[in-house]
Amino acid sequence: MTIFLQATAEGLALGAVYSLVAIGFVLIYKSMDVLSFAQPALAVVGAAIISSLAVDRGVPFWLAFILGILLTGLLSLILERTFLRPMVGEPVFSVAILTIGIDILLRTVLDNWIGLNPRYLGDPFPNFGNFGSTNIGGVVLKYLEISAFFTAVIVIILLSIFFRKSKYGVAMRATSFDQEAALAQGIDVGKIFGLVWFIAGMLASLAGFFITGGFNTLTQFSFISALRALPAVVIGGLDSIPGAVVGSLIIGLTQGYVAYFQTNIETLVGFSLGSGFSLVAPYLIMFVILLRKPDGLFGTEEVERV
Amino acid sequence: MRGRPSLYTDYNKESAIFSNNTQKIWFTLLVLLSVGFVFVGSDYWILLLTTALLISIAAWGLNIVSGFAGQISLAHGVFVGIGTYTSAVLGGISTSYVIGYELDMIIWLPVSGLVAALIGLLIAPLSVRLKGLNLGLVTLALVFIGSHLFSNFKSVTGGAGLGRKAARLVLFGFDFENGLNIGSIVLEKNHLTYLLSLFICVLAGLGVKNLTRARAGRAYSAIRDKDIAAEAIGINLYRYKSSAFALSSFYAGIAGSLLFSVSGGVEPGTFNLLYSVTFIAIVIIGGGGTVLGPLFGALFFSLMPGGIQALLHQFDLVGSSLALSMGQIERIIFGLFIILFLIFEPRGLWGIWFRLRNYFKAWPFSY
Repeated sequence: MTIFLQATAEGLALGAVYSLVAIGFVLIYKSMDVLSFAQPALAVVGAAIISSLAVDRGVPFWLAFILGILLTGLLSLILERTFLRPMVGEPVFSVAILTIGIDILLRTVLDNWIGLNPRYLGDPFPNFGNFGSTNIGGVVLKYLEISAFFTAVIVIILLSIFFRKSKYGVAMRATSFDQEAALAQGIDVGKIFGLVWFIAGMLASLAGFFITGGFNTLTQFSFISALRALPAVVIGGLDSIPGAVVGSLIIGLTQGYVAYFQTNIETLVGFSLGSGFSLVAPYLIMFVILLRKPDGLFGTEEVERV
Repeated sequence: MRGRPSLYTDYNKESAIFSNNTQKIWFTLLVLLSVGFVFVGSDYWILLLTTALLISIAAWGLNIVSGFAGQISLAHGVFVGIGTYTSAVLGGISTSYVIGYELDMIIWLPVSGLVAALIGLLIAPLSVRLKGLNLGLVTLALVFIGSHLFSNFKSVTGGAGLGRKAARLVLFGFDFENGLNIGSIVLEKNHLTYLLSLFICVLAGLGVKNLTRARAGRAYSAIRDKDIAAEAIGINLYRYKSSAFALSSFYAGIAGSLLFSVSGGVEPGTFNLLYSVTFIAIVIIGGGGTVLGPLFGALFFSLMPGGIQALLHQFDLVGSSLALSMGQIERIIFGLFIILFLIFEPRGLWGIWFRLRNYFKAWPFSY
């Protein structure tokens, strides 16, 4: 039972982190019909900026943290302006491939900087810290995981308030509903696109911190963890924010349970699933769910005209 | 070009593989020149060209399913991997930890294509159920499942980080390692593999060209343009989407079986997401949905390292400490080209070639 709770707790924390990246995916997809494969790379950019400032340059952690998030948002905004803006109205898939190009660019530069040794991100509370953990009734919880979960909850609440109450939030919803109608209402759609990418970039870098913080460390392979938000989005439906959160939790929990119960599952099915199966399980889940429901659990069904 | 080259008096002539003599002459010349390159090219460039030719076969495969039939596949690299491992098992040497049967190339070459095609057929029903982006995402899942399987079937692949030797190049009992002497001409292993790749590449290219003018090719285009409309005019979506996937995987399998026999060994980590994306990028840079595009793209992708090397030598930058390694420079240029071509010339290198050709066709008039 303890193992089950442990797996659940870790799964929830993972899911919370994925949901941050996933919301970025959904925001971009909803507002401009672009599936941005650059999101995982942006998560790593955020982590890299935090690491280089806080560890290499000795900037106070919190300053580095805020700078990292803001700079990543800014980079994301610049990317949108330079590369994505000329592609408005192009086929969805071309734009998706273009973001893969952006992803290759960003990651090549990052890999060069990260090098072969893992990098640390610094510790916000040196004597309490994201390296530490607490033990609640046999379940070991890292502070980083706890804070990841609560940060995600707070961010999601803030975002939903933003979408309901603020002028720009409403404008964003209008844009994602119908771009032309939004334009006719006097909404600066271009500005909204930029804002969406800015927010998505900030969310990605925030997730990047939780993915690579503490003992997780930043390596050349960190982006693969961030990429696992993609099956989460697909499961939930590409255009649904609640879907993204639910999908992320499904993915996180799957990963947690498979990691802890792989031997049990193997005896159940009767053959070895191979090492690192917990990292592939999310994709299997996505595979199965897409076959049952092509638009995801919460996605709106696509209506096609001939 | 004399007479009225664009005047066709019957349908067969218009849809012929080579619509006029000029094209026939140029094609023969190009093939002869490519064969002749064996005698003048340095080992380095011959190796690059061999890879380019083989990669173009795989790229043609992706072009069939994505360019012609419009079904997005992010998992093309996985099919290349399936071809590689089929050939490695059938034609490789068995060791204490991997299996291998040391069969002849005449067996493993077609079989690796067929095995890949079979697995492609298994995947194909997905493309009937899913469309567009969602299909792309499912194939993305295939990439991860594929690389997981590759790194865990240790008796076939040697396991992650270790790898195994690829298939031996023995055709009709003749081992390529020994080289071939014809009179005073000595052909070494790399020359022979180059010629073999050239031969298969020409066959594959003609196959693609032939496909575009066949019933299946026309059905693919119809499906790409609008699958619902295609179904309405009586095209069996299931059948043609499946055949597109099978054919594409067949090409990938053939390419994969030879690709790593040339370099000798293969590690399962090779077939990661980037590898599959490479093929998409090659098709986009070359020009999707065209016959020549993937060839251009593959040549560009494979010869780029040589080009960069040459440039670095030119400017005496080889020894100096560049901030980025060669591989990284290549990847950056590659990434940039994906972006730039998508924004400025979606028809790729083929589009540039097309405009150049038309410019000189009408020269000195603007149109």
